[in-house]
Amino acid sequence: MAGGEGAGSGAAECREHLFKVLVIGELGVGKTSIIKRYVHQLFSQHYRATIGVDFALKVINWDSKTLVRLQLWDIAGQERFGNMTRVYYKEAVGAFVVFDVTRGSTFEAVSKWKHDLDSKVLLPNGSPIPAVLLANKCDQKKDGSQNPSQMDQFCREGGFVGWFETSAKDNINIDEAARFLVENILANYKSFPNEENDVGKPKLDLDPLKAESKSQCC
Amino acid sequence: MSCSADAVKEKLLWNVKKEVKQIMEEAVTRKFVHEDSSHIIALCGVVEACLLHMLKRRAAGFLRTDKVAALFTKVGKTYAVAGEVCKKVQELQQQVESRKNQPNGQEPLKRQGSTTSKTPVLTPQAIKHIWVRTALIEKVLDKIVQYIVDNCSKYYEKEALLADPVCGPILASLLVGPCALEYTKLKTADHYWTDPSADELVQRHRIHGVHGRQDSPSKRPALGIRKRHSSGSTSEDRFAASAREYVESLHQNSRTHLLYGKNNVLVQPKDDLEAIPGYLSLHQSADSLTLKWTPNQLMNGTLGDSELEKSVYWDYALIVPLSQIVCIHCHQQPESRWTLVLVSQDGTQRPPLHFPQGGHLLAFLSCLENGLLPCGQLEPPLWSQQGKGKVFPKLRKRNSNRSVDLEEMPAEDTSTDYVFRIIYPGHKHDNTVTINYHHLAASRSASVDDDEEEEDKLHAMLSMICSRNLTAPNRMKDTSEMIEMQGFGANLLSWQLEHCSQGSSCLSCSTGSSPYDVPSCCNCIHDRTPLKMLCDSMKRQIVSRAFYGWLAYCRHLSTVRTHLSALVNHTIVPPDKPSSAAGGLTKEVWSKYQKDKKNYKELELLRRVYYGGVQHEIRKEVWPFLLGHYKFGMAKKEMEQVDEDIALRYQKVMAEWKACEVIVKQREKESHSATLAKFSSGSSIDSHVQRLIHRDSTISNDVFISVDETDSAERDPKGQDDPPFTVVSADVPAAIAAVEPQSVEFDSPDSGLPSSRNYSVASGILSSIDDGQSVSFEDGAEEEASADSERTDPDTSRLQKAKSIVLQSQDSVSEEQLYSQGDYLMDVASVCAASYTIELLDTVALNLHRIDKDVQRCDRNYWYFTADNLEKLRNVMCSYVWEHLEVGYVQGMCDLLAPLMVILDNEMAEHHNAEEILRIARDLVYKVQTLIENK
Repeated sequence: MAGGEGAGSGAAECREHLFKVLVIGELGVGKTSIIKRYVHQLFSQHYRATIGVDFALKVINWDSKTLVRLQLWDIAGQERFGNMTRVYYKEAVGAFVVFDVTRGSTFEAVSKWKHDLDSKVLLPNGSPIPAVLLANKCDQKKDGSQNPSQMDQFCREGGFVGWFETSAKDNINIDEAARFLVENILANYKSFPNEENDVGKPKLDLDPLKAESKSQCC
Repeated sequence: MSCSADAVKEKLLWNVKKEVKQIMEEAVTRKFVHEDSSHIIALCGVVEACLLHMLKRRAAGFLRTDKVAALFTKVGKTYAVAGEVCKKVQELQQQVESRKNQPNGQEPLKRQGSTTSKTPVLTPQAIKHIWVRTALIEKVLDKIVQYIVDNCSKYYEKEALLADPVCGPILASLLVGPCALEYTKLKTADHYWTDPSADELVQRHRIHGVHGRQDSPSKRPALGIRKRHSSGSTSEDRFAASAREYVESLHQNSRTHLLYGKNNVLVQPKDDLEAIPGYLSLHQSADSLTLKWTPNQLMNGTLGDSELEKSVYWDYALIVPLSQIVCIHCHQQPESRWTLVLVSQDGTQRPPLHFPQGGHLLAFLSCLENGLLPCGQLEPPLWSQQGKGKVFPKLRKRNSNRSVDLEEMPAEDTSTDYVFRIIYPGHKHDNTVTINYHHLAASRSASVDDDEEEEDKLHAMLSMICSRNLTAPNRMKDTSEMIEMQGFGANLLSWQLEHCSQGSSCLSCSTGSSPYDVPSCCNCIHDRTPLKMLCDSMKRQIVSRAFYGWLAYCRHLSTVRTHLSALVNHTIVPPDKPSSAAGGLTKEVWSKYQKDKKNYKELELLRRVYYGGVQHEIRKEVWPFLLGHYKFGMAKKEMEQVDEDIALRYQKVMAEWKACEVIVKQREKESHSATLAKFSSGSSIDSHVQRLIHRDSTISNDVFISVDETDSAERDPKGQDDPPFTVVSADVPAAIAAVEPQSVEFDSPDSGLPSSRNYSVASGILSSIDDGQSVSFEDGAEEEASADSERTDPDTSRLQKAKSIVLQSQDSVSEEQLYSQGDYLMDVASVCAASYTIELLDTVALNLHRIDKDVQRCDRNYWYFTADNLEKLRNVMCSYVWEHLEVGYVQGMCDLLAPLMVILDNEMAEHHNAEEILRIARDLVYKVQTLIENK
């Protein structure tokens, strides 16, 4: 599973990346819970609506030479914040679009969010930022709600790089999803290193990573 | 060190995040954020704190006093956007300076024309944060911070927040939000306020029109006024400052909402002074409504320089919180002008406000009515008429139950007066008796000698003493009228007595004054005597209330002492003798005890546990002692012996109930499938339980009937519902004697008050005495008694019927089962049947079901309760219940057991301990129960 161990080029210094990742989706699908689980290993039953925007930082020791800092931006799902929170989309390099498997309407809204995302932020080369679809609250899933092959199809059509069934409550698949997204971001980084918000000192070696492009998941 | 530095950075960033969220929330909920919003100031503050964090000394070089200014100027040299901000700030600062120095009213006007996007007046805080604030308002703060972050090495030490590779960019991106916000929401000055009403705009315009100025209505009018006002005194003393703030507060601002404003409202501040014009305004803040009137002299700054004169006018200014006002009197004057008098709770009147011609009073009242909502309202409310908006109510009602303050003479006279009360329907006072009287110009001459009027007057006088709201009209009218009123002369006022809420008679009347005092009191209205009496009676009430409160407390206490004292152990063990027990039972104490068991007293250990608890590490060792599993002072061998015994017993018990469980399960399965077959719709577990209960009761049913029969005789004396019956059935001569005198009253069957049946019984008694046929009477009574018991206990009979039905159906079911169970009964039941009755199996099944449910519900969030341990819990619980089937499982027992389980983690020891702890719980429950019953 470990991502880019690739050809270790001569430089022995540790590379650092700072990636801005958005977490978006309808109201109450568990965006904040996913971030809490991922960053702080916490879960709370108590729901508190996010006001405007929030952020959290996760440091990943990707491999011996790479350190990835994920800046997770938690965007309020409430409609009332509307465009106000969209200003935070810019310079993001990846996104999680979350929906709630127990509420069909949140899945229907996924396309809206993805479209919104693509219309407001793009990679330096003009392509949409990699987005991973998260089917959250899978611990409460009723059987037969989503068919994996249908979901794969949906992701292909909707321009998602992949999808995961997650549960912030039971800590299912969250690390995997994050890892998958980072792999995709790093793959993009490889092709456009100079534009990247890179904070590491050496910007010399361009190809230390070889991220495999995964098409399926779960 | 780096750790604490990180914490500082995190904290700074967190503060910024909080303020950003606040602003967003405000923007969303109020649809706009005003430049003067306290949130902006707060955001500026926290951003500045971030900017100043570890700023290089060199960067803050040339302007020592204001480091932020230095930073911005320096950044401005290389970054054009920041340069713009610098220019703007300098401009602003110059204006502030020049305003201070030049006492000329013209300058601000010019400035207003030039810089339209800024608020004309900067508050002191805004000036303090002028750099960050200006950048924010100009929507470039995020860009500047980003620039600084990108070039941080120039300005900051390595450890600074802005030099931090993680925090710096986050700060910059966080600020994107507020900057975008200004851009979208604060484009023009028109967005300062939430849609001012047309009325208000006109009012604002008029204010300026008076001074011949032509400001646009959307501009804040405060500036010019403030300017001129401060020009009055060259030295900016504190008074002037507060006065200026006061005047500014009269206008719309972010804290209070201007509901109504009207200039040239006349007020006569003192009796010996002429009425002076002023500005009347109604302000609504979050929790209060305030009426203000300010003399024009203060408003437009045309006042002479003398400080004395100024302060006189300040005395005249009115600030009336409407929460203090209970009545509003409106009097019509010639030429359709109106006078308005506000009356407070204590009866004092505010100086009358003279409204100019036109519908201003109505406008004011409707604004006031709106402002009072949702808690308060005007009584009577204004009427809304189509096309005309609000109009004065027209009421002529006296007999209606609802209180009506207002009475209008039939002759639709235009010169009428109105009284409005301000009421808060949500907050009712218990004994509010108010009088609201009003003065009808037309009625004065009309009905002088009317009897009704006389009566009214008396009522009014009486109620006057009790009323909390006394109003005297002496200020409302001209002097000649005042004289009339004081004399209480020929011109009668039409008084109206009004009882609010329960209309209870007034307390002070009953407690204090005799009716003879009344007239004299009434004559002294104007000497404020009633107020004094009012105070006295209030004092009395307070004292008596305090006394009754105390009495009730004492009674309560005695109840507790007599009835509940059994719950308390009266021997008090001191917490600090021989040594303080606050530390609890620690490891050291415990090991000392174990070494030296002889000398350590059990009581001492218990005392420590009671006051200080047990240290967690040794709980596992101590709890078995506390719960009586081991006795204090036991030797190791004895303890082992105990363990062995318990283990043996536990295994035996386990084996017993497990065997029983097998049968129960089997039975359940069969009956379940039987039910399924019967009701194809499928049955839930609950219905199964119900069935169990039913079947359970069928067993006791036979007993119940027989008990009922024998019981009926015993029950008779207890027939609580029927007092006359009680008398009869107690067939003792004494009772008959007691009835006898009563019977005289029942001359005829119809006149009998309680009931005719009662009568017949009573006469029956009489006749039985006469005839000496006491036996037959008793029989009759008995018969009636049994009939009665049937009637008074309808539940019982219904129950019986229901049960007999159930019994029948049960019989058939069990027969079916017998057939279907064939095989099973052959092997298992044939072995066990002898030992288990159906009754027992039912009980066990029910208990098992309850236990299973409760065990699953046990504290699932705690790590300990895995499936294995829950199984253990179930085992212990079942064993306990098996041994105490007569009590059975009671919901919550599991929760008592669970902590034991966690600490001891030993099924067998627990079994014993569970017994103990549940016994204690049970005892306690019984104790409380008996206490309640005895009470």
